Amino acid sequence: MVGNPNTGKSTLFNTLTGLNQHVGNFPGVTVDKKVGAFNIKNKKYTIIDLPGTYGLNPCSEDERITQEYIQKSKKDIIVIVADSTNLKRNLLLCTQIIDLKKPVILVLNMMDLLQKNNQEIKINQLSSLLGIPVVPINARIGKGIDDLKYAISNFSYQNNSFVDQHHSSNVIDETMLRYNKINHIVNECLIKKGEDKLSILTKKIDNILTHKIYGYLIFLSLLFIIFQAIFSWSSYPMELIENAFLLLSDFLTQTLPAGMLTDLIVDGVIAGLGGIGVFVPQIAMLFAFITILEDTGYMARVSFLMDRILRQFGLNGKSIIPLLSSTACAVPSIMGARTINNYKERLITIMVAPLISCSARIPVYTLLLALIVPKESVFGAFNLQGLIMMALYLLGFIAALMAALVMKWIIKSKEKSSFMLEMPIYRLPRWNNVTLSIYNKVRLFLFDAGKIIVAISVILWVLSSYGPDNSFQLIEEKYTSEHFDTKYNNDEIQTFIAAEKLEASYAGIIGKTIEPLIKPIGFDWKIGIALVTSFAAREVFVSTMATLYSVGDEDNTKSIKQKMLLAENPKTGKPLYTLATTLSLLIFYAFAMQCMTTLVIVHKETKSLKWPFIQLIYMSSLAYFSSLVVYHIFS
Amino acid sequence: MITTLDLLEENETGTIQQINDEDLALQMLTMGFILGEVIKIERIAPLKDPILITSGVNYICIRKADAKNISILKNTL
Repeated sequence: MVGNPNTGKSTLFNTLTGLNQHVGNFPGVTVDKKVGAFNIKNKKYTIIDLPGTYGLNPCSEDERITQEYIQKSKKDIIVIVADSTNLKRNLLLCTQIIDLKKPVILVLNMMDLLQKNNQEIKINQLSSLLGIPVVPINARIGKGIDDLKYAISNFSYQNNSFVDQHHSSNVIDETMLRYNKINHIVNECLIKKGEDKLSILTKKIDNILTHKIYGYLIFLSLLFIIFQAIFSWSSYPMELIENAFLLLSDFLTQTLPAGMLTDLIVDGVIAGLGGIGVFVPQIAMLFAFITILEDTGYMARVSFLMDRILRQFGLNGKSIIPLLSSTACAVPSIMGARTINNYKERLITIMVAPLISCSARIPVYTLLLALIVPKESVFGAFNLQGLIMMALYLLGFIAALMAALVMKWIIKSKEKSSFMLEMPIYRLPRWNNVTLSIYNKVRLFLFDAGKIIVAISVILWVLSSYGPDNSFQLIEEKYTSEHFDTKYNNDEIQTFIAAEKLEASYAGIIGKTIEPLIKPIGFDWKIGIALVTSFAAREVFVSTMATLYSVGDEDNTKSIKQKMLLAENPKTGKPLYTLATTLSLLIFYAFAMQCMTTLVIVHKETKSLKWPFIQLIYMSSLAYFSSLVVYHIFS
Repeated sequence: MITTLDLLEENETGTIQQINDEDLALQMLTMGFILGEVIKIERIAPLKDPILITSGVNYICIRKADAKNISILKNTL
């Protein structure tokens, strides 16, 4: 399946296969080769959704992928998805593929929009003029899908050619020749009965959304509303989930027989999962907003508004989509950078995108902010935690721009920079799409990340419940021996034992080993353990904290936040999570490269080990030294 | 009057005469901007660059540096 960007190709793919993936209204959102299958009369067909392209003369990485695939394919039927409201341009790609002597079916999508514009296409005539089957559909509501299936299953190749390429001396003359012939066809097949209402409406909306002043104001307000919404709307479902997990672990402690296995389940698995499950509402909302912005066509306008500014930093207007979608996850955003034609601009976008706070940081930020920021509203309506969260995101953006500026001066390139981008017409978001996107992302977060989280939680539980040799036994003996002061009651003694055991455990030893390194930035060995475990994925920080502080809490009645608030510095007896330590930790998590998946993707996208390595080093150093500064200012 | 696309104001129209850069010409063509057809400046970005242009139903954004390479026969009222 091939076609111009914004033709509803991915929607058709979803309708055909039921295999769901991301669909956007932005050119080139389909960056991966997506494979799906469907049946026609019990016969299985495999379909590949190729990245959108305007022609077979590739200008970007995405288009190159499509062009190479089409040229190599032998027997595959090529389904060309075309926007029926822009027949002329869409037919260019179609005729190029016909002349490659490939079996082709032309699908005319968005027939509903064509009708709204008071236009009509003579399908049979178009089919006979091009010499290929033509199927009109409306992928959004699934109209015409059976006709398409029929056309696929009854396909027979007819050898024909559109233009004789031997006569055209160069590719531009050839393209002009194609357009001349296409013009004749369009004149014969397209009946216009009125004016193009949709384009007129789109331009009216653009008068506001790309306005000199309102344009930027609307964009900033939208960002502001999104972050406020993520914080205030999600607080109720978050409390609900948190309480549910507390009830569950309480219930399990009561009913399961006391012992190792129960401890493992309650303190390891449930504590770890609960720490993560709480953040599902926020992550779902962030992905919903990003999908809506892309789906409606607004993202393309933001690129237009931002190009001049981003150019100063060695980036491109198109970088705004990877940068903004990095607030959800850096992995798809780094892949999305493929639409940037210029290598240097693309590389810089990839290198700085992970500095922008992603959804995996939300759990960490939320937990830490709850420790130092009161849950209250300012100016009556704004959620204070939400405001500070927005400041942290802003910090990520600024850091990304600064890093980009540095790289702009370091990386040398003679390649010409350009920025050409189609402005799709405004459309309502496909709500199906938004729901599917939320569903897929949350599932990915809960199950794929969940697997790692549970595994790390279990390992962590083992590491923090056992120690080398007989160290645990010695602690027990120390407290039960008669020399011990009996002014403490039994519960207090149990707490002392638990604390000392944790310190003597394997996890404690690991944390203590790196403590000298992290002490200057205000972290103790418990945070040290969390830093080690969250190297693979940031969100593990929360579950690590949950597990570390659960060990020794016999009745499991407190949330992680409450436990961390109670945590004391053993030497001074003062609260451990002071303003300085917590801020330092926040900054560290904002900047540090703690995501294995991102590094792997950067390696794949840059086809080098050098760039992910540089990324790891520069982000880690930035995190360490920023934390150092912040800690010293506030302590 | 022959001029280049970057010198047109908002809402001004013209006919595409020639595109000097070959890669740019090909890219414009595949995006539906065809020699001899009418082109219109829809909007100039708040910071004077890039610009939104239309030709028929095709609606794209390009930078002024590229627009400089596009010769236009400007329509006068």
